[in-house]
Parts: sequence; C-alpha cells; structure tokens
Amino acid sequence: MATTMLRGRRARLTTGLITLAVGTSLALAGCAGGAPATSASVPTDTAAVTGELNVLVSSASGSDAGFKAVNDAFAAKYPDVKVNFTAVPNENYNQARSSRLSAGTIDVGLANPKELPSYVPESNKGDDARLADAGGFVDLTDQAFMKKFNPSVLDKIKYAGRNFTVPTGLSYYSGLTYNKKIFADNNIQIPKTWDEFLAVCQQLKDKGITPISIGGKDTGGIVMLSVVQGLYPTAQNKQDLAKGLYEYTVALNTDKQVEVLQKVQQIYTFGQSNFAGSNYNEMTSQFLNGKAAMISDGTWNVGSLRKAEKQVDFGYFPLPASNNAADNANLGGKVELTLAVPTNAKNKDAAMAWLAFFADNYKLFNDKAGFAPSQEGVEGDPFYAEIAPYTKNFEPAWDTIWIANTKAGQAAALPFNWNAVKPMGSMDAQGAADAAQKDWEAGR
Amino acid sequence: MTKSYIVFGRRITAQLTFAIGMALVFIFSLIPAVGILIISFTDIRSLPFLPVRWVGLENYETFFSSAQIGYNVIALRNTFVFAFAVTIFQNVLALLIAVLLNQRLRGRNFARAAVFLPTILGVTVIGLIFTLLFNPSAGPAQQLWGAFGSSSAFFGDPSLAMTLVIVVQVWSGIGVAVVIYLAGLQAIAPELYEVADIDGATSGQKLRHVTIPLLAPAVTANTLLCIIGALQSYQLIYVLTGPINPATQVLSLAIFTQGFGGAQGGTVQSQGYAAAISMVQFVIVAIVSLLSLAYLRRRETVL
Amino acid sequence: MSTMPIAAVPTSTDATGTPTTETPGPRPESVGTRPNRTLKIVSYVLMGLVILIYLYPLVFLINTALKSNSEFLVDPTGLVRNPQIGNFLKAWEQGNFASYMLNSVFYTVVAATLGTVMSLMIGFPVARGYVKHPKAWMGLFAAMLFLPNTLVTVFQLALRLNLYDTPWGYILIMASGVGVGPLLIAGYLNSIPREIDEAAAMDGSGYLRYLFTFIPRLMMPVLSTAFILQAIGVWNDIILATILFSSKEHWPVTLGLFAFKGTYTSEWTLLSAATMIVAAPLLIVYLFLQRYLVASVVGGAVKG
Repeated sequence: MATTMLRGRRARLTTGLITLAVGTSLALAGCAGGAPATSASVPTDTAAVTGELNVLVSSASGSDAGFKAVNDAFAAKYPDVKVNFTAVPNENYNQARSSRLSAGTIDVGLANPKELPSYVPESNKGDDARLADAGGFVDLTDQAFMKKFNPSVLDKIKYAGRNFTVPTGLSYYSGLTYNKKIFADNNIQIPKTWDEFLAVCQQLKDKGITPISIGGKDTGGIVMLSVVQGLYPTAQNKQDLAKGLYEYTVALNTDKQVEVLQKVQQIYTFGQSNFAGSNYNEMTSQFLNGKAAMISDGTWNVGSLRKAEKQVDFGYFPLPASNNAADNANLGGKVELTLAVPTNAKNKDAAMAWLAFFADNYKLFNDKAGFAPSQEGVEGDPFYAEIAPYTKNFEPAWDTIWIANTKAGQAAALPFNWNAVKPMGSMDAQGAADAAQKDWEAGR
Repeated sequence: MTKSYIVFGRRITAQLTFAIGMALVFIFSLIPAVGILIISFTDIRSLPFLPVRWVGLENYETFFSSAQIGYNVIALRNTFVFAFAVTIFQNVLALLIAVLLNQRLRGRNFARAAVFLPTILGVTVIGLIFTLLFNPSAGPAQQLWGAFGSSSAFFGDPSLAMTLVIVVQVWSGIGVAVVIYLAGLQAIAPELYEVADIDGATSGQKLRHVTIPLLAPAVTANTLLCIIGALQSYQLIYVLTGPINPATQVLSLAIFTQGFGGAQGGTVQSQGYAAAISMVQFVIVAIVSLLSLAYLRRRETVL
Repeated sequence: MSTMPIAAVPTSTDATGTPTTETPGPRPESVGTRPNRTLKIVSYVLMGLVILIYLYPLVFLINTALKSNSEFLVDPTGLVRNPQIGNFLKAWEQGNFASYMLNSVFYTVVAATLGTVMSLMIGFPVARGYVKHPKAWMGLFAAMLFLPNTLVTVFQLALRLNLYDTPWGYILIMASGVGVGPLLIAGYLNSIPREIDEAAAMDGSGYLRYLFTFIPRLMMPVLSTAFILQAIGVWNDIILATILFSSKEHWPVTLGLFAFKGTYTSEWTLLSAATMIVAAPLLIVYLFLQRYLVASVVGGAVKG
C-alpha cells in the first residue's frame, strides 16, 4: 500500500542519512596525516608559472596595500598567472583559513607554528604547530629567497629547526608613543626608570594633560605586556618564568609576578577617565587632539598616525617598568604576518615564485605596510631609524613566548590577569593575582 | 461526523512533497547537528590533516572540571540573565509598539520601516553605531550622563556592560518581533472589537481582553524565538565588548572563541571541545524552550 | 467557482474607526465608537518617540559615512565638518559591490523562496494530519530551532557532496535553515478550517494546486513573515559565506564589507558608507512586502 511503502522508504532514507552522518564524521577522523611531500622549488622559467594563485591573509590596511603593490608587479612579470588575493578580517581569518585548507584552495597563507618548550604538556600545542608536525607546511629553509631575510629574524620563527614561514616584518609594542611637543613644552625627558616614569606621569596629570591614552576595549593587554618586558627583560628571563609557572615553583600571586599587576594598576590610574570603554580609534584620537601625552600602543599604528588630519610629532620609547635602567633598554616585539605554503597547495610553483618575488621586492611591500623591516639593508619608515637604539637587540614580547595551559582556568590564560584589575575589572592587583593563581593551580 | 482529512485523492502527493521537504532539512540541518554530537566525543582540531582520536566524555569532563567550572558558571549565568531580560523587554515593547503602529496613523509605514531598520543593518554596524554613541569621552551618552553630574565607562564598566548590551540587543531585535505581532494583529477580526465596543469596553479593557488573548499564539512564537535566539546569540556581544570580557561572557560566545580561536588571550581548545559546549548549550536551550513552551501553551488555553 | 467569499481586503483592526490603544495608561474614556482625539495625539507623540529612538542612531551612521578617515581619527563622534559624499562611490568601488550585490539578491531570493516553499510543504501535511504522528513532527520542528551551530560539520558535508564553493551549495544550506517557518505555518493553519480544503477539493482542485495557489492567498501574512525572516538571515550571513566560498565571484555583499575591516584599525567611515549601500535593497524590499503584510483575509467570513 502506498502509505506503508512510503513509510518504509522514509525509514530507509532516515537510516541512510544517519549512516551518512556517522560515516562522514568517521571519514573525517580517518583524514589523519595524509600529507604529501614537503619540498618544492622555485621554477626558474617564468613561462612555467601559470594557472591561479590563491593567497589568503588577514586584513590590515597597511599590509593590504603592500600586498597589492607586490601583486601588481608580480602580475606584470608573470602574465600567465592569475593572482587571487583575499584579505579577511582577523576575527574571521581562522575559520576562512581552516575551511580553505580542508578544501585545498590556499597556495599561500599565514601560519605561526610555535615551538613547545619541554616543560609544557603536549596537549597545549597549538594547531599550527600540530599541522607542521604532520607535514602540512612546505619546508622553506633551503630556498634561495630565504637568504634575503635577516637571519636573526628567521631564527625566531623556526619550528623544529626548520623554517616553514616567511617573515613580512616586525612590530614592537612594549613601549609608549609620545607627543614630542608636550614633552618639550614641559621640559620632560624620556624616563628611563620606573620612578622617573611615575614622576613624569604625575607631572602631566597635575598639568591637566592625560598622561597615557589606553584603549581598554581593544588593546588593554598591551600595558601588561609592556610591564612584563621591563620586569623580565630577556627571552631567558621569560622562559624561566614560564618554566617556573609550569613546574609550580613560581606562583602568580607573589614576588615579581604580582608586581606586574601592581604596576599595571598604577599605570591605569594615569589613563584617561573611563578608558575601559575606549576603543582603539578613541584612544588614538585623544592623542591626536593633544589631550593625551602618550599612547599605550604598538608601532603598527605609525602609518595611521602619519595620515591623520591633525599631525602630531611623535616618538616611541620603552615603558620603563623596572628601576634598573638597563632592563628597560630594549623593546619587546613580534614578527608580523608570517607566510607559509600548505603542502596540499594546488599551485606550488606559482606559490614559490610569488614568495621569491616577494623577497626580491620586499621594499615595495614594506613601504606601504609600514612594519619594521625583516630584511637587512631595507630602509623602513624613518621612525624605525629613530627607535633603532631600542631595537638593535630584538626581544620577543611575552605573548610570543607564553603558551597557555588549556587545562587551567580562564583567569590564568595570559597568565597575568590584567582584565580583572580595576577599572577594567573589579579587583585590585593582589586579588586579581590570587584569582589567577587559583585558576592556574586548578590546571595541575 | 467522520473526520476524513484526506480530501485530495490519495495521500501520496502530500507525503511525497513532505518527504522532499524533509529530506532537504534532514540533509543540511539535522545530519550536521548529529555530526556535532559525534565530534564532541573526539579531539578534532580546527585544521585538517591532523590525527583525530576518540576521547569519549573527556571534553564534557573538561567543561565541568574545577578549572573551568567557575568561568563556565559565570558564562551560564550571564547567558540566562541576557536571554530572559532580552526576551521580556523585547516582547513587551514590541507588542506595545505593534499595537501602536497598527492604528490608522499617518506615517505609520515610515515608523514600521524605521523600527525594522536595525535588522537590515547587521551586527557589525550596529556595534559601531553604539560604540560611537557610548563613546566615553565625547559621545552623546556621556554628555547626557554629564548633565546628571556623573560619568561612566559604559561598555568598559563591568557593572554596566551587561545592561547596555541588553539594551542594544533589545533595540535591534524589536523590529522582527513587531513584524510578527503585526501579522498576528491583522488576523484579529474587527468584529470582536465591535462587540467589545457594544459592551462599552474602554481601550485598556479591549487591549487586555481581546487583543492580548487573541495574540497568544504570536506571543508564544515570539517569546520562543526570542529566548532561543538570545540564548544562542553572541555576535553583538562580541562586537560591543570583545570576545573574552568576563562581565559579558556568554556560552555561545565561548563556543565561538574556543572553536575557532583567534581570541587574544583566551585559551584555545580543540573543536571537539567547542562541539561539546555546543551540546551543553543545546540541552540547556531545549530545556528552557520546552519549559517556556509548556508555560505559554497553558496560558494560551487559559486565555 | 469557489463558494466561499475569500477576499483580500486591506484592513486594520480599526475598520470601524475604533482605534486599538497602545497602553492602558491614564485611562482615556472612549465613548462608544467616536474616535478619541486625546488618544490620537498621544499615539502620534509615542510614534514620534519611537521613530526618534530608531533614527537617531542612523544619523550617527550617516554622519560617520560622510567623514574622511583622517577626520574620523581625530573626532569620531562630532558632527562632520567636511562631508565627503565621494565616500559612497569609493565604498562602492572598494567593496566591489556591483557583483556582490547581484549575488546576494540571487541567494536571498532563491534561498528564502525555497525555504518558504519547503516550510509550506512540510508544515501543511503535519497540520492537516496527512502524515502519521503529527505531534512528533511538530516537536521536531520546534527542536530544529535550537540545534547547535553546525558550521563545522555542514562544511564537511558540503565538501564531500562537491558543493564547496558553489552557489547552489550555499543556497541549499541556507534554504534548509527554515527556522520558525514550519511552526508558524502549521500553527496558523489550525485557524483555517478544513471545510475550505474540502470545498476546494470538491471543486476539483488537486493537492499541489491547492497548496500553491489557494493556501498562499489565505496565508499571505504568515508566508510573508516566514519569507522575510529567512531572507534576513540569508542577507546578513557572513560566516557560512566565509567558509563556503573561496572564489570572490561568489561572494555575497556581506563579505564585501571585509574590505574595510582591519586587524588593528578599520576604515570606519567607508564601512559606514558601505553598510548603507548594503542595507538599501533590503529596506526597499521590506517596504514593498509591507503591503502584503497589511493586506489580510477578512477574518470574519472565514472563521464564521
């Protein structure tokens, strides 16, 4: 009968679909380590480079303009290749990259495989590192174009002793952008120690000028990173801290660790009123209007500052979190966008050619992007020449060294709990540190 | 009278079209949902070509573990506060506005379009507008606050952030609710109002005894939609207060940041873990919805 | 042919001139059926208030859209001093909206129509009992509302069905998100008596003809509502489009907005201008569909 027939059919359809679901998920599970060969080389003949090249990066106005300049020049040299360049906002980047990797439609993308120190459990390994382990990225170490880049920079982005990524530049963010005119008008010298720094801030506050403009909503964490840089100046200091935390020989609510939050809290008192609600734009506009003397910001903003309607003569110096001037001598930073080629890329030849072209025409890129150059001999914005004394020894910022423990609570994610310190949160420094330590202990 | 529902020949046509419709829904909605359940028992990560293991209930254990439970409870509490506050305010205001705009007033089409506007603008832009409006240094809201002699960090103030987010969510969601209520109001026969008039009812009484009872199905639909939507929505909160702000952390946002990463300073777990949180959220939403539905249905029949 | 007076008459509930009120407020006495002047004034004032609350933020958007980026950096919230009408043109070009707009319109119309048709096809049999266990199906419709976010798995499904980076894959997935459609339709059908079905059948109408020509006329408000709700979802979708489409030629308009969002700062002024461009078509469609929402079946004759 029609109805029973249909019911049967529907039952079979249902079973079939459920099997499909289970099968899909299991097939997904079965997709383990199916990674092909990891080496490729740059084709020497420009006519050999054809087809489409898919490039996916995260969007920022400076680097987007830089990539566009490179792409236009590349298209001129390799007329048989069609470059599909896509820039996606940061918050959507991971999804976009993940789905395109699965579908095999990326030739050049961003990657950041981070080495896992011995004292950190395997479960905390990041996704990019795992993918590098599984052979998901092409090994670029022996490529000729890699030699164009500064070896010390290449060293910082190595994974398991090999280079899988190309550095597009550097940026620094453990310091403060400052208004040269305000400093000059008030006879203020760049502070080299913490006490000097507090005195400068107080002096400005008494004059009715906001000492520091802080973008609480977007970049509130930079204050913490700047303080950490001064208190743990070298990479070794930071590694020791991380190791001590993981081995539970060092606690977040004692000694220097709680000092970090205490200094953060003190800096907060010099921020503009209600800075917890200020976003990045608002923070910058305070500075440009001369209402704030300094910004807690990174060097990536240089381009925007130069293009603003109101021009401010600005400079940059490290936030002196320590009373020992030597500790405050260097800026902490990171390597900006790092490019990689997935091993399942469909057009590896074009990808290699593009990277080689990028390396050869780095200046073309960086003039628009405004990063600190990752190649020696390339001149960046004169701003970087000015801060050269602080950057001659590149110090990695805390967030490039720290690997979070996924088993610990959220308050210990960074692990300094700046988000909970008044007025960003509702606790004082000690309370925030205690909360972080409690969450950290829970991850044992 | 023997109820023969089958008025159109054999049932086959109806059942066939039904099957086609359900097939589409099955394949693209239900099967993937089952898939989420399945991957919640694995440690699958967001990138391909990585080994995937079956881990059983480990993800769920992590969710309820002592390290995460404090934070998750806060997220849950925020989720409930957000959902209920939004549902109540949005529905009450939408109902009143719908009744208002159902009258023969000149320019009411313009008003209807205005109320519907936020739905079209999208979350990113609404976030931008309200960030500007509530700009702590020079925005109109701060000027208003200043008229009363105080000042505030608005979205940055942990005690005020949630309230403001609720206000913005209600503001942007009223449009859809009004559309549904208007459709429901259209369906009320005018004769019923005539009868009420003959009985000498005041406007207030008409509202309470004619309009609202007959709108009961629309109220149910709207309330349910709103609760479910509010329990699952995170985009506005993300845009207004960031992905890891404890004052406004809700479960759906936690899923997004855990599953897709990219949040500075938050820990990134596997996508299997995000799927597990999704399932927990599903159970919560199901329970809340069913309870609400039962309650609303009972009130419907009472009325 | 039909014996039932099914007429679509534009009406609002005050066809007899008796206004429905907005709040039991300070108890205005309405005397019989005479329009109450105080009530009308209060209503106008309230309506004005509502319009203000909704348009004032929009003013901010327009204000931002007219600023140059350098002015915005210096003064984000003040009134624009140097209006840049050119922002709209620049946004249009930079966001590549011409082609994206066509895509969005196509996806939205097709997916919402398909979804509404699906909702009707599955809602009607359940409401009328053409399938067994109607209560269970209704329960399923309700359960579908709170399904977990299936992006991850639906992506894998699309990949394996070779629907990745195809417009039809996107449309099918979007159409299947019927949301509250079936529930609305099934619920509303309970208020349409079966006698109408029987009458139409007796007049020789087949099931499909009835479903797709008679019923829509009876249920236009509900179908329009379901359509609009789904259309909004499709038009505003960013995430599925991000993960499903790798070729730019398939991008909907929402992804065109990507061109203005950066990692650290965004071009808020152009983004505002771009958003207004994106919002305009949907607003026009809504205004157009408004008439269908206003027009409704005369309840009296049907409910009897």
